[in-house]
Amino acid sequence: MMWLPLLGLVIGILLGLLTDWRIPSEYANYLSIAVLAAFDTLIGGIRAHLQNIYDEHVFVSGFFFNIILATSLAFLGVHLGVDLYLAAVFAFGVRLFQNIAVIRRILLTKWLESRQKNRL
Amino acid sequence: MLTRKTTWHFTFVSLIIGFMLAIQFQTSHEPDVRDTRDIWEIRQDLKKEQELHKQLLQEIRKYEETLEKYEQQRSENKGAILRQTVEELKKEAGLTEVVGEGVVLYVEQMYDESYVGPLSDTVSAELLRRLMNELNMYGAQYVSIADQRIVNTTVIRDINGVTKVDSYPLHSFPFEIKVIAVDAEKMYNRLKASTIADDFALENLLLTISEPQQRVVIPPYDGTVRVKQMEAVEDARR
Repeated sequence: MMWLPLLGLVIGILLGLLTDWRIPSEYANYLSIAVLAAFDTLIGGIRAHLQNIYDEHVFVSGFFFNIILATSLAFLGVHLGVDLYLAAVFAFGVRLFQNIAVIRRILLTKWLESRQKNRL
Repeated sequence: MLTRKTTWHFTFVSLIIGFMLAIQFQTSHEPDVRDTRDIWEIRQDLKKEQELHKQLLQEIRKYEETLEKYEQQRSENKGAILRQTVEELKKEAGLTEVVGEGVVLYVEQMYDESYVGPLSDTVSAELLRRLMNELNMYGAQYVSIADQRIVNTTVIRDINGVTKVDSYPLHSFPFEIKVIAVDAEKMYNRLKASTIADDFALENLLLTISEPQQRVVIPPYDGTVRVKQMEAVEDARR
């Protein structure tokens, strides 16, 4: 069952490439922020799942809410003349790294545990 | 482990992420317009650009020279341009002698030997005006009648039976009408073809047209130019 999300990712990329959609370059910033927010949510979801604190409502609502919040923050920044999207990039970036680090540690611990079990 | 629902959630989310990623990728990686010119085409384009460059440089040089000339003129002789303008205006107004290529018309009396009756010793103003119109039509630049320069304010009129050009009476025959034209040859041919000589003949006058001459001298206007109806243009800056 693990391969299904990966398959989803591949299908999504293929779909995007095949539809040949392009957004105007002035909106590229918003899309990049949205992608970052989505990634953050996905990684956060994986981490929560590994820590057994996963809640599907939190995950799904967080996904959409983060995307909308990030893009609206970028939008506000453009209209205020302040690069507010940098704040979103920073926040999401930091969280992304932390979450990935946590995931790595959990996986490492699990792997070491399984190896020790095998040895015993 | 993963429930079925959770897996679908993750799949859905990753699908959306993939879709957004692909679009973002496509947006930021617009395919470059490939340069498919071969070396000859590139060379030709380069030549074209170089020619344009040369042309632009020439233009720049031309304008710089002009600018320099103006600067020089301004510093050297501020009055020269003004004097030149005055000269030009004088020439235009007919206050200078003019020399040029043109034709000369002779007007003399023409009576049969058997003619008995009153002799006319002048040419009618009407006819002379008609001749003037005809000359102007044929491209006359400067005209004088019996050495009286015709300017813009010249009047040809009948005063007590004597035709006068400005204030000079025309009663001694023959007299000359000198015309300077841009193209004397054309002027001559047109006069030859016109019926103006017949009109003169009706008044018992003989109009002879000379061959185009290289040098025709037309004297300046000798009267004073009175400017009654003209006013200086108000300075727009005031």
